[in-house]
Amino acid sequence: MAQNISPEQSGGAGGGGTKHSDDSMPVKDNHAVSKRLHKELMNLMMANEKGISAFPDGENIFKWVGTIAGPRNTVYSGQTYRLSLDFPNSYPYAAPVVKFLTSCFHPNVDLQGAICLDILKDKWSALYDVRTILLSIQSLLGEPNNESPLNAQAAMMWNDQKEYKKYLDAFYEKHKDT
Amino acid sequence: MTSLDPAPNKTWELSLYELQRKPQEVITDSTEIAVSPRSLHSELMCPICLDMLKKTMTTKECLHRFCSDCIVTALRSGNKECPTCRKKLVSKRSLRADPNFDLLISKIYPSREEYEAIQEKVMAKFNQTQSQQALVNSINEGIKLQSQNRPQRFRTKGGGGGGGGGGNGNGAANVAAPPAPGAPTAVGRNASNQLHVHDTASNDSNSNTNSIDRENRDPGHSGTSAASAITSASNAAPSSSANSGASTSATRMQVDDASNPPSMRSTPSPVPSNSSSSKPKRAMSVLTSERSEESESDSQMDCRTEGDSNIDTEGEGSGELGTNDEIELVFKPHPTEMSADNQLIRALKENCVRYIKTTANATVDHLSKYLAMRLTLDLGADLPEACRVLNFCIYVAPQPQQLVILNGNQTLHQVNDKFWKVNKPMEMYYSWKKT
Repeated sequence: MAQNISPEQSGGAGGGGTKHSDDSMPVKDNHAVSKRLHKELMNLMMANEKGISAFPDGENIFKWVGTIAGPRNTVYSGQTYRLSLDFPNSYPYAAPVVKFLTSCFHPNVDLQGAICLDILKDKWSALYDVRTILLSIQSLLGEPNNESPLNAQAAMMWNDQKEYKKYLDAFYEKHKDT
Repeated sequence: MTSLDPAPNKTWELSLYELQRKPQEVITDSTEIAVSPRSLHSELMCPICLDMLKKTMTTKECLHRFCSDCIVTALRSGNKECPTCRKKLVSKRSLRADPNFDLLISKIYPSREEYEAIQEKVMAKFNQTQSQQALVNSINEGIKLQSQNRPQRFRTKGGGGGGGGGGNGNGAANVAAPPAPGAPTAVGRNASNQLHVHDTASNDSNSNTNSIDRENRDPGHSGTSAASAITSASNAAPSSSANSGASTSATRMQVDDASNPPSMRSTPSPVPSNSSSSKPKRAMSVLTSERSEESESDSQMDCRTEGDSNIDTEGEGSGELGTNDEIELVFKPHPTEMSADNQLIRALKENCVRYIKTTANATVDHLSKYLAMRLTLDLGADLPEACRVLNFCIYVAPQPQQLVILNGNQTLHQVNDKFWKVNKPMEMYYSWKKT
């Protein structure tokens, strides 16, 4: 089970973690990376996974935009979230930088959209791919780790789900345009 | 793990599946088992680069396989654990080379260079596609082609309770089978069918093993293997339906049946009550099985199913990821446009009403083409010159007296959902297309 951890633990806040590790990592040639990304794209389109989708954002295969449907039976159900995925040259040996593009009020997501999830930091494995990342984030929505919150307010409110849902609805109302 | 291991009382936790599973029976006869390209590929693939394994390395404890380069890079750059299961991998020494597996791959893909060259080419093409839409289209194309390649097939060769050995056995049975009355050319036709089956069968096994490198990468290439799969499917069935009086082909059919994809199901057809005893029992053609109201011409149609099912498979070929739904249709001439004094209807007589069972993902256009071919075959030379142009409009009747003309690219499934809904054969009508 993927546990979320504070981004500070892996050095550098937010998305800085992977950038830092990039330099120390053996970089495979870009071709191999884009090849793998193309294959992932192919598999993703064939799997036709429910609740998640992803596609390169424009011509650059190293930048993708993904969407996640809020998991059912959670306060997030019915919502759709857009995320950006930035793949480093050392992918898949290093994790992509994943951020929420849609504002997301969640204990482990900060207001800039940075996500605190262990598999995107020190628990990364070369076997993870876009699909598993998005699925992990989707499950994180429903099962936050309130021990190491990025959004302390959300973490405090989480216990009262009714109140949380109410706040969430007001939150979406406010962030409609994003 | 050796007995010298310091932790001998380690417990192995087996899943319920692992506890219950039995070894597969060893195949000692000449049965061939075809494995779908997809499942084969997942076995031979490195989970890191998603490519075919190259210089396979296997983790000593958990037995997961990777390319040598991939796992070495992964261990150097990340956590010292198995990327697949997170088991600790202290160093490269926790891995061992797996030459046997490399050998296996080289047996299946004798020319890795060729495989890689094709891949490179396709990737380049893939990169060239500038617009996203083109990308999506090409991917969808690939998906379609792969879905056609997916058929997993068991084939018994020789041996086993009179299961005719390929073309020869069936051919012999064929001669023994009494030719259908009113179809003097039946034997000749069937014989040529048999040849076909034999041919395509061997082609097919080729395409199954080879198509991995083609599938989904080069639409042009995989097109060929898909096509061969289709022809083999469409040829195999009519030939055995034509002489299914002989038990050999029947067994063959069943073997095929058991493991074929859902769309390739043949259903035993009721023998028309007034059929003569000498007529071979009729099996339905694979994809579209049709029962004419009039049975006199049945035998004549039997030997023509070849043409039919070819058409129908064409339709099926472009269908989407195998839905196994089948739809039953009653096909009647349009009550006003095609009244009893119409030339075509006069020529068809009772044959103008048709019962059809086909896959739900066939489109209205397929149906129209099929109908045209079917009617032409039925009428043969009797067809008046004026009626040769067979362009049909297809209607559905959601209520009696209310006919709705259908758009050609709707699938039958969609039509059924939209207009029919009730659980009985969908009533459809045809008329000549007005020019």
